[in-house]
Amino acid sequence: MNIMTNNIKLPKQTRLCEDINVMVAGQGGDGSLTIIALLSHALRQRGLELYQTSNIASRIKGGHAAAILRASKTQHGGIGDNLDVLVAFDEEAIINAGPSMSPDGIVIYDISRGPLPEGCLGPDVLVLPVPFSRFAVRDLRRDLFKNGFGFGLVARVLGIEDSEAEDCMRKRFKKLSKAALEANLHALNLGFGIADEFGIKHGDNLIELADAEKSERLSISGNQATALGFLAAGGRFFAGYPITPATEIMDTLSRHASKIGCVVIQAEDELSAVNQAIGASLTGARAMTASSSPGIALMQESISHCGSAEIPLVIVNCQRAGPSTGMPTKTEQSDIGMMTQGGSGDFPCVVLYPGDANECFTIAALATNISQIAQCPVYIALDRSLAQNTATVAPFDLESVKLDKGKLLDEATLKTLDTYKRYAITDDGISPWALPGTPEGMNLVTGNERNEWGQVSTEPENRIAMMDKRARKINAIRDLLPGGVEHGDPRAEIGLLGTGMETGVMGEAWARLEEQGVKTRCHRPRTLSPVLDDTLDFINQCSRIYIIEHSESGQLERLLKGAGCPAEKLRGIRKYDGLPFSPGELTDLILTREAQG
Amino acid sequence: MTTTFTPKDPVWCSGCGHYGVRGALVNALSELDIPAHETFLLAGIGCSGSIQNNVNAYGYHSMHGRVLPTAIGAAIANPDLTVIAAGGDGDGYAIGMGHFAHAIHRNASVLYILMNNAAYGLTKGQDSPTSELAQVAGHSPALDGMSMGLSIPGATFLARGFTRWSDQLNGLLIQGLEHVRAKKGFAFLEVLSPCVTYNDTYPDWDAQMYNVDEDPDFSCTDRGIAFQTIERLRSEGRIASGLIHQGEQSAFEANWIKEGLCPANLEAHEPQKNLDTLHDIMTSYST
Ligand SMILES: Cc1ncc(C[n+]2csc(CCOP(=O)(O)OP(=O)(O)O)c2C)c(N)n1
Ligand code: SF4
Repeated sequence: MNIMTNNIKLPKQTRLCEDINVMVAGQGGDGSLTIIALLSHALRQRGLELYQTSNIASRIKGGHAAAILRASKTQHGGIGDNLDVLVAFDEEAIINAGPSMSPDGIVIYDISRGPLPEGCLGPDVLVLPVPFSRFAVRDLRRDLFKNGFGFGLVARVLGIEDSEAEDCMRKRFKKLSKAALEANLHALNLGFGIADEFGIKHGDNLIELADAEKSERLSISGNQATALGFLAAGGRFFAGYPITPATEIMDTLSRHASKIGCVVIQAEDELSAVNQAIGASLTGARAMTASSSPGIALMQESISHCGSAEIPLVIVNCQRAGPSTGMPTKTEQSDIGMMTQGGSGDFPCVVLYPGDANECFTIAALATNISQIAQCPVYIALDRSLAQNTATVAPFDLESVKLDKGKLLDEATLKTLDTYKRYAITDDGISPWALPGTPEGMNLVTGNERNEWGQVSTEPENRIAMMDKRARKINAIRDLLPGGVEHGDPRAEIGLLGTGMETGVMGEAWARLEEQGVKTRCHRPRTLSPVLDDTLDFINQCSRIYIIEHSESGQLERLLKGAGCPAEKLRGIRKYDGLPFSPGELTDLILTREAQG
Repeated sequence: MTTTFTPKDPVWCSGCGHYGVRGALVNALSELDIPAHETFLLAGIGCSGSIQNNVNAYGYHSMHGRVLPTAIGAAIANPDLTVIAAGGDGDGYAIGMGHFAHAIHRNASVLYILMNNAAYGLTKGQDSPTSELAQVAGHSPALDGMSMGLSIPGATFLARGFTRWSDQLNGLLIQGLEHVRAKKGFAFLEVLSPCVTYNDTYPDWDAQMYNVDEDPDFSCTDRGIAFQTIERLRSEGRIASGLIHQGEQSAFEANWIKEGLCPANLEAHEPQKNLDTLHDIMTSYST
């Protein structure tokens, strides 16, 4: 093949790896995801747990794109500190990812578009330069086949057997035409040839991956898991409007809609989406809408209305970096204020925040039931990282999902009543509910203040009784709300508190602090509204608590202060550059703050 | 019999056109023998938006401008209901205009009654997008819901009535109800319903209304003729009333109905009854 293999010194020893981070980066159309997908398949066969994220501009083709895969013996729920292997299809990839390279990392660089940019990589990083693109066009007449070359070389570097690599490709590309598959396999073999020329022969891998016991896993994103949880709990009506990073919820539901019988509607805007869901909900159907920050801002009037009119509704907010249109493809948690305090007026509203795909499933199912029981809006808060990144997780516990109808009245029960009032004042604040279509249950539903019959009333005593009744509903469902997840030494003075996308990285920072002799304990609230007692207890028990969050103004911290947490105990560790914390970064930030006293 | 709410007497000013709409709706519902509990009447915000309090049916009071998406959601989620949306011209042609255009385009089986008084009644008489309908030329011409509807391919039922012409109005309401109950799609009925307090258009409209139903040259199945007629009448200072357009187009929910899908039927959606399907869906993510 004639590549420049002189001057390249391969390390003498194979590096053992229990935890590896691989990035493939290039222009949007380069197919970075293809190599990552092939690798995922191969590493899964080893029983490793996978976590995958991509960093792609909104366009499909063009714009810089990177996909990162972490494979490790246990699931960390995030990307590691450094990249062990980088496959770079252009200069920009080296410039962007260079600083994240592990000191003894390996870079496979496509020199077709130009020489390796200087000064981006550490002295001990091994660079394997190959003109993939030129070879692909020369030998196979299509640039895209460079992914086959690249995968061949990466497979050799990581000690994936040639036959394993080939097998992955056959499985992954099984939908391609025979000719296209053959061309890809040819490219793969040419990739092996390149490895031979570098001296990376079959069995001479540079990195040796740990093997793990392969357990049953799903590879799924938070968005997909949320959609499945909704379906499991009887959710059969969804309306939404496309927006990054929430669209996959609509896509996932559409994909499965005909199998299970679910209505999925792309509305003309978010106002229509949320109100179509409200309309469905009024008939007793379990309804959900999903959007991301600016779309949720548009829905505020309708969500307040559900609070007032006592209409069940599940709203998923895949938070992205704001304000306004902000950074659509970047992550943030800066709608906590809007979700817990937004809308007009005072009304009961629940905000749940899962921490991984498995919890997305259970919380979506729970939210669907709770919204019915309490007849109020329930938010599922996600963030871009949680929503879009995929991870391997244990299969969901489908059998445990039940359909709880709350105080829904059927015809037979209605007939036994002397009177039926839609907004009857009850001890728990929840009024029995009769659906249109049910004989003898006729009622009026309104967002205006009303009397028990649903007839508009501004009479002061009635007003107070109705406001208090609605407020009581939160207490009625308090026991159903998911509590915080804790780990670490319960006697530790230092607390770490974060939610959603901070789940994995907080755990890793905790372990590293522990290694350095700094004892901490972690608390991850999963219910943000109302703030639950276990969260307050945790804060009371610690002497100082680091509130880890992606919000410039510290919205989670403000929420906790508002719930009565002493301000002097809380220390904000905040990020708002659109990127998640890395474990090392978070550990250092905490250590620095500790050193400051 | 369980005692539920009793429809109240309307709170409208005496002489308000909306009384006529309510009366005609009550007549049409009883004429077609539609059981009250299977009727779902949703209303927007405005004086018009209190009609659901005065009719024997399940009622819902939406937000300003949002009644159409809500009604569409309800109609799809439970196709056994007769779903009626109602609201004013501010509600439908101003704040709700986006939804209005898409409701016609989408063609879900909902009857939409827009009570056009060429003014905002509830907020005390401000101009609405149709204000000029009543006034003499000068500023920008009034928006015409019939022309708008005609411009949207897929419109299946467009009609205009006048509260003073109660026979025609009764007939149009019955036709509209039949259209949605036969799942033929969206039926739009604009009713000229004067606001006697802030914008008494009775004298003008009495003189201006023109009944296309009785015009042998008019055809409600020919969009071109309908357009031309409306335009010609407008240039003569007149307003077309009657069945303006009837078209054929499959209803938005037709496929779901064919599949027997009813999201509101919770019994069918019990997790236990769907475990196999759910399991198949889940394992499509297995790795
Ligand atoms: C979001 C919102 N904006 C404004 C209002 C105030 N508002 C209430 S009714 C109305 C207009 C009513 O006019 P129309 O829809 O023509 O009905 P009418 O009262 O004439 O029957 C307005 C602007 C509101 N309730 N909600
Ligand atoms: S203000 Fe106008 S629209 Fe409202 S009730 Fe009175 S007459 Fe009717």
